[in-house]
Amino acid sequence: MTRGIDVGLATCHTCDLVVNMGAPARPPAGACPRCRSPLRFRKPNARTHVIALLIAATALYFPANAFTIMYTEQFPLRRADTILSGVVFLWQQDEWELAVLVFAASILVPLLKLGALAFLVIASGRGSTWRPHARTKLYRVLEVIGHWSMLDVFVVALLTAVVQLGQFARVAPGPAVLPFAGVVVLTMLASASYDARAIWDRGVLD
Amino acid sequence: MDPAQPTPDVAPPPGAVIASSGDVTEIELVLCSYCDAVHRRTQAAGGKTMRCATCHSPLYRGNGDLGAMLAVTITATIAFFVANTLPLLTLTSQGQQTRATLWRAIVASYDSQLPFVAVALTLTLLVVPAIELGLLLWLLVPLCLRTRPAAFHAVMAILQTLRPWRMIEVFFLGVIVAVVKLSGLATALPGWGLFGVAVMSFSLAALASFDQGALWRRAEELAR
Repeated sequence: MTRGIDVGLATCHTCDLVVNMGAPARPPAGACPRCRSPLRFRKPNARTHVIALLIAATALYFPANAFTIMYTEQFPLRRADTILSGVVFLWQQDEWELAVLVFAASILVPLLKLGALAFLVIASGRGSTWRPHARTKLYRVLEVIGHWSMLDVFVVALLTAVVQLGQFARVAPGPAVLPFAGVVVLTMLASASYDARAIWDRGVLD
Repeated sequence: MDPAQPTPDVAPPPGAVIASSGDVTEIELVLCSYCDAVHRRTQAAGGKTMRCATCHSPLYRGNGDLGAMLAVTITATIAFFVANTLPLLTLTSQGQQTRATLWRAIVASYDSQLPFVAVALTLTLLVVPAIELGLLLWLLVPLCLRTRPAAFHAVMAILQTLRPWRMIEVFFLGVIVAVVKLSGLATALPGWGLFGVAVMSFSLAALASFDQGALWRRAEELAR
């Protein structure tokens, strides 16, 4: 396999133009001749960014799951649900398809993202040669599922807004909404900061 | 799943722009964004995804039909208006019927001292899609008429920044979950606005399957 960096080729991250940088040096200097964006062989400081964002996301993960995400009030019923108790409640109401969906989007996906990104960044940091195809595939899966965890935030926002309109009950967002949205956004930023090419560089460059 | 052929180890002269536009005689090279392998760009049959021979990740797509992209964008724009004007869902409780359009829901949450909810809904379903669709039309209409759109580079850069934050398909699923959850409190039925959200999700997803490089190539062609 011939890598771009070995022959001095870099792709512009804005317009995808392949540009010859001359010597395969790093850090490369220069701007894209087409769109003037700075050119790089690799995402700069990718490891540091991913690790920092992962630590922040992990810190928010705890309040996001421990606190109430939604208050529901319809006389005589009053509930304060965390993400997990919301899933359990759906399950008990025999809405098991929905319970599985919300469980996957709100609990499984964020956990998978935190764990898998930590694994990827540690493996490529150590210059691992273990199953590069599988690791690349794992990263592509993370990119696709990333934003689906926002589901619960939308559901809470919609329910709140719609129920205010109907005025037959009260629904209010709880303190977990913001940290939960924070986890989703931070893990999305973390996976965008990771440079999958580090898997194939075998740690030589990073 | 047909991998592009890797190129021989011949480095082109320094300073040369390799994969420049339209010019068929030039060697067009592509670097895999997942493993940095160098490939020669081959003519991909319409809509087909070319994959990297080394790591099997998608390299580029063959479909760069600007007219089709414009058609899909127009569909999404019409769906955007449907999604924002017709009710997303209809609630019936104690003989009282409420049609929840997105805009009324935003106003209601703002009035009930829930500005965070109002802002979140406004950004994701009104502001971000409106900017994205507006900018796409701004680019595609002139490009299809073979004139160069103003501020082409800046608009492309904004679109690229917005793309990962597109959440309309998640919102679509969110409305469905909300309808089911509400059915415990009142009679909730999905409305035509939800159909608009669905069409918008699918057309924006379809747009992502086109070769974005086609816009750059057409703009460069016109700049000459």
